[in-house]
Amino acid sequence: MPSTLEKIRVLGENSKYDICASTASSRTDKYPKLFGNSKNWVGAAASAGICHSYTPDGRCMSLFKTLYTNKCIYNCKYCFSHTCKQRMSFTPEEYARTFMKLYSMNVVEGVFISSGVCCSADETTEDMLEAIRLLRFKYHFQGYVHFKCLPGVSQSLLREAITLSDRISVNSEASTKEFLSEIAEQKDFNNDIILRQRWLKEIRVKHNLDTLKIIKDMKEDSQVKYQELMIQDRREDGYKKFRWDGAPILNSGQTTQFVVGAADGETDLDLLKQIDWGYRNIDLRRGYFSSFIPIEGTPLAGQQAASLSREHRLYQSDWLLRIYHYKLNDLKDILTEDGNLPKGDPKIYLAKKYFEGRGPLDPNFASYKDLIRVPGIGPISAKRIINLQSKKFEFKKREDLKAVGVVLKRAEPYLLINGKNQRTLDHFTHLSPEETSWREIA
Amino acid sequence: MEGNRVNEDDVKKRDPLIVAGCAKGYTKEELLSNLPRHNKFSPLLIKQIKLIPEVIFRNSGTPIAKKINRMMREVTTEAYRAKQFTRTEINNRGVLFGVVMLKHRVIDRVLKYFHERWPKCIICLYNEYSQKTSTINEKGIIHEYISPLKEIVDKISENRPLIRYFDDIQFSGEEIFETLYNSQFISERENIPYFKKMIPDACFNLPGMRDSVEKRFRKKTLDKFL
Repeated sequence: MPSTLEKIRVLGENSKYDICASTASSRTDKYPKLFGNSKNWVGAAASAGICHSYTPDGRCMSLFKTLYTNKCIYNCKYCFSHTCKQRMSFTPEEYARTFMKLYSMNVVEGVFISSGVCCSADETTEDMLEAIRLLRFKYHFQGYVHFKCLPGVSQSLLREAITLSDRISVNSEASTKEFLSEIAEQKDFNNDIILRQRWLKEIRVKHNLDTLKIIKDMKEDSQVKYQELMIQDRREDGYKKFRWDGAPILNSGQTTQFVVGAADGETDLDLLKQIDWGYRNIDLRRGYFSSFIPIEGTPLAGQQAASLSREHRLYQSDWLLRIYHYKLNDLKDILTEDGNLPKGDPKIYLAKKYFEGRGPLDPNFASYKDLIRVPGIGPISAKRIINLQSKKFEFKKREDLKAVGVVLKRAEPYLLINGKNQRTLDHFTHLSPEETSWREIA
Repeated sequence: MEGNRVNEDDVKKRDPLIVAGCAKGYTKEELLSNLPRHNKFSPLLIKQIKLIPEVIFRNSGTPIAKKINRMMREVTTEAYRAKQFTRTEINNRGVLFGVVMLKHRVIDRVLKYFHERWPKCIICLYNEYSQKTSTINEKGIIHEYISPLKEIVDKISENRPLIRYFDDIQFSGEEIFETLYNSQFISERENIPYFKKMIPDACFNLPGMRDSVEKRFRKKTLDKFL
């Protein structure tokens, strides 16, 4: 019988390639306590977001991240558990107690519970849920819980997981059915993954609207009125209008993760298409990309590792889709012939394309949509500029822009400040007809 | 119909395009409430802040604005680092205790952070800098004592009953955390400069991090290269 320490060593190592580590939550205290009104409650998700430790690659380590069991009926080619000869599982009580100890030491902020599939998805999920039930109702832990949905789990268990967790994720691993069958042939892309993701969305929306109705009946709260709209409101492109909708149940929504570079021939475009679909159709809160690292002893041991810069570029592009409201078609314009993102910051490539022929932008008259296209201007500084425009403020100096948070070093080549445009060396080495006309304006 | 319109208006008010404030930095109210926490604060500063327009502070262009923004940053960073890197213990009587090193007057913030997490516990934090022990009780009332931490913890524990909940988690956790930390290491992704950015050198002087597993990872011995 392995000791708890041994289990943490083995099961922690088996889960290290799962890289979801954020503890983001917008849960508030304005709703009745979800896990009962015990006076002995412990933990807080409302003020989450503090990282207590960092691993040597700089990733934050805020969650108690281990597998529940590494016994698995699946035979995924990229998976670490291929190489692990020791098979073990936590008991629910052992898992909950160990976490509470770490929480009392102030070294972790919440739980990330994932698992191999032992016997069946339902049986393992039932055990995982038991551990979370103990945490919630025996140890009265009200903090952050990220629950990993196993492929093929039944709807009734998913319903319970939703009511107990802050965030649930279903790992897509690959962007299409074909690519998934290449790396995990036993998994059914449509049934095990997509269908579960759709269920998660439907159950979350229904649960939250029902809960808000109950809260509305209990107390006349004006907040509740538009909370309902926030949960359902969408942008023109089908993305959720309010990413943080303040929902009382499964507040941090659902996420997914892709293994980048494991399936042969899978391009960045495939991954971006799938994540774009996720934002529009299943209310995905965000996606994670994990560069494939070949592990000795697995069937993919001889395959080349995916570069970390590819993973970084995918994150940058995902950010552009999700936060900057770029369209997928915009990103398609800058892809290389093989369907991958070019080396370097995608926003700079997009800006070069966008401002070609348009000339530099005057921040005094620019719209939000144009401002957001300028490298060095993010959503917050763009909103500040729009806010100041409405107050008839005129940007005349570089310092005015610096004061609203614009990164001038990146933004200046695309801006017209007091009628002048700061050029970079690039402009003089590759002058095109459009660019010469810019100079005339300046 | 009328009701619907009210709701839509409410949603419009919360439109992501509308943000409060037009510049980075702190408001005057924030400055006035936080600066007195700095250990080099003088009442003269408050007078100066009241006279100077807010925009000067936000732009951080003048020496006084730079100084005040630096002081604000020192105060907020110290509180944040203490919340991040203070390592605590809990005894079977529900007393949570730990050691901090705070130059500025932010102990109340750190105590409230722990109180939010453990509302039924008494929190005791010993400040190495001022050599005082501060406590916060279940009702959120803060006290300060000159006695050392152990003495205070023992005294408080004497009057509290043994609580089974806390008795359940009375085992050494250091080894557990070290094992968990080591298990997450992916050698292919090692990025020491980024790691150093996330945990700067100064953080290893904090009481909770002096002999931490992170420090051992950061400072490699010659054996590793041989």
